[in-house]
Amino acid sequence: MDLKRRDFLKVVGLGAAGSMLPGCGGETAKLIPYVLPDEEIVPGVANWYASVCRECEAGCGIIVRVMEGRARKIEGNPDHPLNRGKLCALGQASLQGLYNPDRIRGPLQRDGERGEGRFKPIPWEEAMSRWVSALQKHPGGAVLISRPVPGTLAGLFSTFMKEISGTVFFYEPSAERPLRAANRKSFGIDFLPDYDLANTTYLLSFGAPFLSHWLSPVHFGAAYGRMRQGRPEVRGRFVQVEPRLSLTAASADRWVPIRPGTEGLLAVAIGRLILEEGRTNLPRGDRSRFEKFYASFSIDRIANETGVAEEEIVRLAREFYTAASPLAIGGGIASEQTNGTDTLVAINALNLLVGNINRPGGIRFFRPSDFPASSAEVVGEQALLDLKGPSKKASRSVLMLYQANPLYTLPPSTQFRQVFEEADLVVSFSPFLDESTAMADLILPDHFFLESWGDHVTEGIAPAAGLAQPVVIPRYDTRPVGDLFLGAANRFGGGVKERLSWTDYRTMVREQWRDFFDRRQPGQPFEAAWVEALQKGGWWKPEGKPVSISQRGAPSAAEPARFEGSEKEFPFYFYPFPSMGLHYGQGANRPWLQELPDPMTTVVWGSWVEINPKTAQEYGLAERDLVRVISPYGEIEAPVVYFPGNPPDLISVPIGQGHRAYGRYAEGRGVNPLALLAPLIDAPSGALATGATRVRIERTGRKGRPVLVDQTGQGTRRHTEGGEGEA
Amino acid sequence: MVEYRDQNAPPGGPYQWGMVIDLDRCTGCEACVVACKAENNIRIAGEDEAAQGRAVYWIRIERYWEGEYPNAQLKFMPVLCQHCGNAPCEPVCPVYASYHTPDGLNAQVYNRCVGVRYCGNNCPYTVRYFNWFEPHWDEPLNEQLNPDVTVRSVGVMEKCTFCVQRIRGAQQTAQKEGRRVKDGEVTPACVQSCPTEALVFGDRNDPESRVSKLAESDRGFGLLEELGTKPAITYLKRIK
Ligand code: SF4
Ligand code: SF4
Ligand code: SF4
Repeated sequence: MDLKRRDFLKVVGLGAAGSMLPGCGGETAKLIPYVLPDEEIVPGVANWYASVCRECEAGCGIIVRVMEGRARKIEGNPDHPLNRGKLCALGQASLQGLYNPDRIRGPLQRDGERGEGRFKPIPWEEAMSRWVSALQKHPGGAVLISRPVPGTLAGLFSTFMKEISGTVFFYEPSAERPLRAANRKSFGIDFLPDYDLANTTYLLSFGAPFLSHWLSPVHFGAAYGRMRQGRPEVRGRFVQVEPRLSLTAASADRWVPIRPGTEGLLAVAIGRLILEEGRTNLPRGDRSRFEKFYASFSIDRIANETGVAEEEIVRLAREFYTAASPLAIGGGIASEQTNGTDTLVAINALNLLVGNINRPGGIRFFRPSDFPASSAEVVGEQALLDLKGPSKKASRSVLMLYQANPLYTLPPSTQFRQVFEEADLVVSFSPFLDESTAMADLILPDHFFLESWGDHVTEGIAPAAGLAQPVVIPRYDTRPVGDLFLGAANRFGGGVKERLSWTDYRTMVREQWRDFFDRRQPGQPFEAAWVEALQKGGWWKPEGKPVSISQRGAPSAAEPARFEGSEKEFPFYFYPFPSMGLHYGQGANRPWLQELPDPMTTVVWGSWVEINPKTAQEYGLAERDLVRVISPYGEIEAPVVYFPGNPPDLISVPIGQGHRAYGRYAEGRGVNPLALLAPLIDAPSGALATGATRVRIERTGRKGRPVLVDQTGQGTRRHTEGGEGEA
Repeated sequence: MVEYRDQNAPPGGPYQWGMVIDLDRCTGCEACVVACKAENNIRIAGEDEAAQGRAVYWIRIERYWEGEYPNAQLKFMPVLCQHCGNAPCEPVCPVYASYHTPDGLNAQVYNRCVGVRYCGNNCPYTVRYFNWFEPHWDEPLNEQLNPDVTVRSVGVMEKCTFCVQRIRGAQQTAQKEGRRVKDGEVTPACVQSCPTEALVFGDRNDPESRVSKLAESDRGFGLLEELGTKPAITYLKRIK
């Protein structure tokens, strides 16, 4: 099949009801505008189209305001059960991805040495041939590293790679892996749960950054608002246990600092107290396993190791078990350690002890919708590192990248670069020239998500599948990655062509939805359901039925976390955390996010090193002094910002800057703290332990220039005097 | 046919726009900050201008550190123009560019502004921003600009307008239908995005509106209200 014929989505005209796009073989695809209730429409000639946000892995429903064929504003989709009309900073800023001046505008091939970053245009036809013939020359040796794409695209990638005997990895640099591993151990369930924050009365969080970037921040933000002020008589209490005062901890009623990596121990102590004081309603049969495990721990020893006073531990336990509906969650720094999974299992145990599974205000499990998404599992860093292991899966093979940037998100100490160096051909489908794409031999750029068809199955929250349609005409000579893979399947012929016989990706998406609707509501006309789904932005049920759990796993280990670097030579714990606006770096090419003040420090456009003010003074460091942070694996230089929320022996640096590629707004700005990390892994989940490297600091004697936009906050403390109250 | 009515005199008397900001809900996520930038074509300053204190945010999240480790605390407070009933920025403007609308907005007439910046000097909340440079967007970022909102040129003062374009839009619709704007019908961009619903906007002249009811809360206070500025924004105290 000739790809040119399917070179669809070109401008011909814009109808009042939406853009008319010429489809393949003359078929037209009419875009369906989102229907807002009349009173919410802002006058002017605007159409709103429903779609799915792809800026983080949550997949919030969005509606996009389109005028004269240009996307002008993105809002949350009020109907989508995940975010109910709300949207975070990243989602708002996705327009700057669409209109980013540094997008890749057409297929490119390497010009010069690999990694030099020089490219020249290549016709699509030739690019496709090179890619497909390379795949054919490496039977069984192809590797695709993709961001998680829960929906039709996951199915397409998995089928394609399976049929050509290659391997696909859905990889994301986050701590979701330990959470899944722990839930499997505790509850025997594979998919992510929903934490019913909105209805809880006492939230005990061990480091979970649910107000900044964890799982589904907008969903949790909304639930948090309701937990605090959404109920007439109850204001939910919230305690955050973590070493560093994070953005999330700033909203807590009480912040309980703890020694890094000992969060699981604290959970064990609390669990022990719940049992001891007879406050569990665990079925008798399960109880003995828990008792047996807790028996060997003593509270005062745990107080000693965690640095949390014994009275505080007792207080936490009592608050937890006396609450009407308590909820314990764990993530972020607590799970980004070598013992991350075990820590989360110990935290899960608290929920099992008080019996809040599938109860309002507790942990609820909803089976993801039965939409035919691939069940492909998201992998941790270990799976990627195995590519350069003894089996050498990737050496002399075809390495493909889909919106994954391992050369930025994996520390150099893992030597992942080898995988790129050893590959025969590196192909990237990214719309941006990020660090990994800069190492490619061939770039076949995908449309930006606002120009594409697609879908996204929501996990955890009540069953939902979002549906995305292109809201604007593709700007450049890019092609939907789905079309590329279908086109490649066609060129391959044989089994892969048979399994993937769709003419184009839009048709494939449509067919998946047809199957889905046929199974759900047999006999009903598909066309009406499809149009409705496009209009609404997907399909969802108001409230799913929770799935009962098959297992009540007691914790089995509470080993202390391991740290790399001797305490003597490297006196500081080191914690790199995803920045509020830039997350794991993907936001760095959006000027709005670069200029978004970090909520804790007000820094914009750069990196900084957070140090406890007293420690800084001991080292003779003033704010803005340039400091060298050194680990056994590398060093970075960045200016000091006093951070009263850091313990004296912990240094934190935001992730997100320090790009060597990725366009004019990101390049050569700040530092990437991942560069310091040791290649330590949480074994049960295979996730990188980002909190496990120790560092020391050195003065450089020079001044840095962190840009703090805090011109007004300092010295106007009188503002707050009215702002605090007792209740 | 509905009889024509002046937009400031809807059935039942004029509107009085106001906002409530619940500090017990705000988490400092800054979704509002980007939403406001997007809606109102606020220019991107870039690193150098930002370093000179010339970045523009019509709404910003102020933060206050208190105490020391391990008792350190950080509090967030969204600050935007308070649309003061008794606005210190207004009487000092020699050309009446800063003036009060009958429905309670502190408006800024950009094409009247001559850039003397007295208003900025006089605003106790420091929410007025002077355009020191001509706004600039790298092509094609300009394609996102909202055609309902003007791009302010160099030399004028700009600030939060309570998304007046949305207010006027809703008023026109209501007027055509011969009714008052319903509660919740106008939502400024910041209010619309805020995940926790910390921000609530509406008509203070309607005793039944959400904003009126929330403003009655005994947690309510006005920012620097001892100055007598009569802000149209009521903050609700954070509970500890
Ligand atoms: S907050 Fe400042 S700019 Fe706004 S009305 Fe009051 S004095 Fe004027
Ligand atoms: S009301 Fe509108 S102009 Fe004012 S801060 Fe909110 S979004 Fe910006
Ligand atoms: S969007 Fe809401 S919660 Fe987030 S910073 Fe703004 S006001 Fe606070």
